Amino acid sequence: MNPRVWARDLALGARFAVTGGRSGVLRTLLTAAGVGFGVALLLLASSLPNMLFQREVRESARAPDASHRMIEEPGPGTFLHYTQYSSYRGAALSGLLLKPEGPGAAVPPGTDGVPAAGEMLVSPALGRLLGSPEGALLKERLPYEVVGTIGEPGLIGPNELRYVAHAPFLTTDNYDGRGLRYGWSVPEEPMNAFLLLLVVIAYVVLLLPVLVFIGTAARFGGEQRDRRLAALRLVGADNATTRRVAAGESLAGALLGLVVGAGLFLASRQFAGTVEIWDVNAFPSDVVPHTLLALLVLAVVPVSSVVVTLLALRGVAIEPLGVVRTSTPRRRRLWWRLLILAAGAALLVPAVGGIQVEDTGIDTFTIGAGTVLVLIGLTGLLPWLVEAAVKRLRGGPVSWQLAVRRLQLSSGTAARAVSGIVVAAAGAIALQMLFQAMEHTFTAETGHDTSRAQLQTSLDARDGADARRTIDRLAAVEGVTGVIGTVDSHVYRHGPLRPGEEFRPIAPFSVGDCASLREYAVLPSCADGDVFVVVPPKGATDAPDAPRIRETARPGALVTLRDPAETKGTVPEWRIPATARVVTARPDPVGLHRYGVLATPRAIGAAPLENPRSEVLVRLDPSLPDAPEVVRNAALEIDPTATVRGLSDTEQSSKFLSVRTGILVGSTLTMLLVAASLLVATLEQLRDRKRLLSSLVAFGTRRTTLGCSVLWQTAVPIALGLALAVAGGLGLGSVLLAMTGQRVHDWWVFLPVVGVGAALIAAVTLLSLPLLWRLMRADGLRTE
Amino acid sequence: MNTAPLLEATGLSKAYGPTAALSGADFALRAGEVVAVMGPSGSGKSTLLHCLAGIVRPDAGTLAYDGRDITALSDTARSALRRTDFGFVFQFGQLVPELSCVENVALPLRLNGEKRKAAEARALEWLARLEVDDTAAKRPGEISGGQGQRVAVARALVSSPRVIFADEPTGALDSLNGERVMRLLTDASRDTGAAVVLVTHEARVAAWSDREVVVRDGSVRSSEWAA
Repeated sequence: MNPRVWARDLALGARFAVTGGRSGVLRTLLTAAGVGFGVALLLLASSLPNMLFQREVRESARAPDASHRMIEEPGPGTFLHYTQYSSYRGAALSGLLLKPEGPGAAVPPGTDGVPAAGEMLVSPALGRLLGSPEGALLKERLPYEVVGTIGEPGLIGPNELRYVAHAPFLTTDNYDGRGLRYGWSVPEEPMNAFLLLLVVIAYVVLLLPVLVFIGTAARFGGEQRDRRLAALRLVGADNATTRRVAAGESLAGALLGLVVGAGLFLASRQFAGTVEIWDVNAFPSDVVPHTLLALLVLAVVPVSSVVVTLLALRGVAIEPLGVVRTSTPRRRRLWWRLLILAAGAALLVPAVGGIQVEDTGIDTFTIGAGTVLVLIGLTGLLPWLVEAAVKRLRGGPVSWQLAVRRLQLSSGTAARAVSGIVVAAAGAIALQMLFQAMEHTFTAETGHDTSRAQLQTSLDARDGADARRTIDRLAAVEGVTGVIGTVDSHVYRHGPLRPGEEFRPIAPFSVGDCASLREYAVLPSCADGDVFVVVPPKGATDAPDAPRIRETARPGALVTLRDPAETKGTVPEWRIPATARVVTARPDPVGLHRYGVLATPRAIGAAPLENPRSEVLVRLDPSLPDAPEVVRNAALEIDPTATVRGLSDTEQSSKFLSVRTGILVGSTLTMLLVAASLLVATLEQLRDRKRLLSSLVAFGTRRTTLGCSVLWQTAVPIALGLALAVAGGLGLGSVLLAMTGQRVHDWWVFLPVVGVGAALIAAVTLLSLPLLWRLMRADGLRTE
Repeated sequence: MNTAPLLEATGLSKAYGPTAALSGADFALRAGEVVAVMGPSGSGKSTLLHCLAGIVRPDAGTLAYDGRDITALSDTARSALRRTDFGFVFQFGQLVPELSCVENVALPLRLNGEKRKAAEARALEWLARLEVDDTAAKRPGEISGGQGQRVAVARALVSSPRVIFADEPTGALDSLNGERVMRLLTDASRDTGAAVVLVTHEARVAAWSDREVVVRDGSVRSSEWAA
């Protein structure tokens, strides 16, 4: 091997790539665009780990330090803190409430100083929101004056809605903790197995089609290149030289593609902040590819383009008078294609049933490798399937005959282009199945019943009357159609501690109207003045304190309303009426069972209860989209540290819906990429057949006949590819679900993907038609 | 013989951009006659053929086929005319490489709506007549140039056209094969009564015609009725 000769030939090829006339340049540009797009995607994907890691770093850097012993006493540098999590119109909102206890209290990251009492600093996104009419409702919720902006070090993403406020009302009764500084090392919160599985599959599914596309792009303009190489042979180049020249030509396109890809990556990086997936976005500076992965991309892309070119030339003999392809292509073998598929299955199947949702580590390599092998196996199966299927096609109109015969003669190009669709579609179907199962699991796990209530809050009260007023205030909020409200406390068993008891047995005690109590227990009848006892059934897993509840909450039993051990003076007593009925608990809208004593207001006044809380579940008017925000505002007005929780099944569903839409969009984009290569291949083929098309027109062939022929030529491989993708995707999805012990919830998830495929067939055909019409002019017959 | 022309062109002009390919060419063709259109490269022979066949619409002049002005016909109507009344043979055969030879020959019939089996049966007859029935199941890439050209002649004749347009039909063949193709083409056309417009620059090929016209600089310089 002579390096000088190699360099000369590669350089000559590179020159052809940029000086090969209009079509040569077009081919290079197409290759560069295709490879560039793929490279940009690969670089973005390899940046994802760092993006997520940087978010964690930022999160821990701004959190008040809680890594060392609890600070009992206030000092000149201490501060009280409370972190508020909320949402506004579906967007996550977080705030850090601070109360410095001395002049030297630490300054939160991203700020110049602790704001003065009643003031707050906001993130740029929150500042914009508060300054706009859309933020008017939120303004009511944050009763602090905006005095500045939180800088990048205090935020985890440029779109984050975040505030840091000085809250003088913070005390050791309502705080999260006392801090001395910010920043602590958060132990990495492990992802559950299901999420890990999803991430692994998503990576594989998104990246494989890109690699397939890079392989296809390297073959663009193959026939023209072959003619150019034949001309080189005529002037004395040997076979090895022509292959090196061809490699140089591809290499030039691939290297240009790397430059384009790097440019696209740098440009798209700037928009990282504007893209938000699942409330997550990133600062451009955090979008940095993993060094090893980036180097791998930079090395693999040019090498693979050269390898693909040399492979493409394998079945071609470049002779001085033209290019000779093997007239009868070798029959495609099935065994090695099935072997790859079987190898993938062999890696995946043993894991069936072996992953629990709560697991935090899975065998990423085995599952990733298994998925890759299955998808590659499916891709490899396609050329065989297309060849085997078109071989059996007979009859039909002229357009069908022309298309089928073309495919019978050479189905490789079409199959290669479509193989990307198989990977993208099969992967998307498997992912959709996983997401659907996940959606089901998570909704089932919450157990929330949003038909009965949509928000839940729990607010401390000074006394029973105050708690009752809170319930009434929330019930009166605009957009609230009803509340399930109880004043909650505890009752204590009467009498002294018994031998062996460390504390007095207690039972939960709720006071509310009949309508509210019916949400917690199955009541045969209820009138104001009634009392009910709800005892945990034997074997109840959600009541570890069942024996103590049974001992305390008995009809006719005397109880105290406060803990005698901690009460000075007279302890209020109450006898549970002997007429109190023992009833069965009913899951409340949050999905929990409430055991203990349920009383209506006339049975006992709430006034003597100990540390009463208003437990409120709110029903909203669905026609008022801002009703949740108004309730949150009202709750925070009552208690600035209140947390209002949205019952989550609908919220989860919409999140999953957006993720599923995301998958469909992602797979559609990937399929568009594939369609682009299919279009290029079709256009090239049409251009190469210019003279033939003109002669067909000469003897009166209708445009529709040739148009339909192009349609069939595109449709047959794509339809076969989609059929394979559906079968493969459903199979892969089923195996992946079986791994986590899930079942398939909807076998029809493939329909949208198939719809996209059908649209692509139409698009490729329609976009080919203008060129086809142009080539059908008689100019093609001219030889002079 | 009926002396009224089957195809008559008067003052045909056609330019491709600034280049005039035809300037006021006149031409007449009687039913059943074989006319050779001769001339040097670039003289406008092929353009004349394309205009006469209704493949290209002339910029000026009239063209009547069987008494009908075909320049006024729509593209669809001209395509239909080419399917039913005209046949074509080109220099390189221009057979569809994916189709077998019998399917290639049956193609014009199928485009006219004939059933596949019937069309292929007729195609086989023509392949036999042109002495290439052994190529029926083969693809064009698997047969010789001479065989391919005879298959192309069979394709031109299969729909019983009234006019065959042959553009350098022997241009890519050796003299022996060229002779054979011309003999078969002219014999078959005479048997079926089809007229032939034969574009060639070879006197040897033109000798198979009833009459010769010469195209030079876009106009027809001589036109002699055969004796």
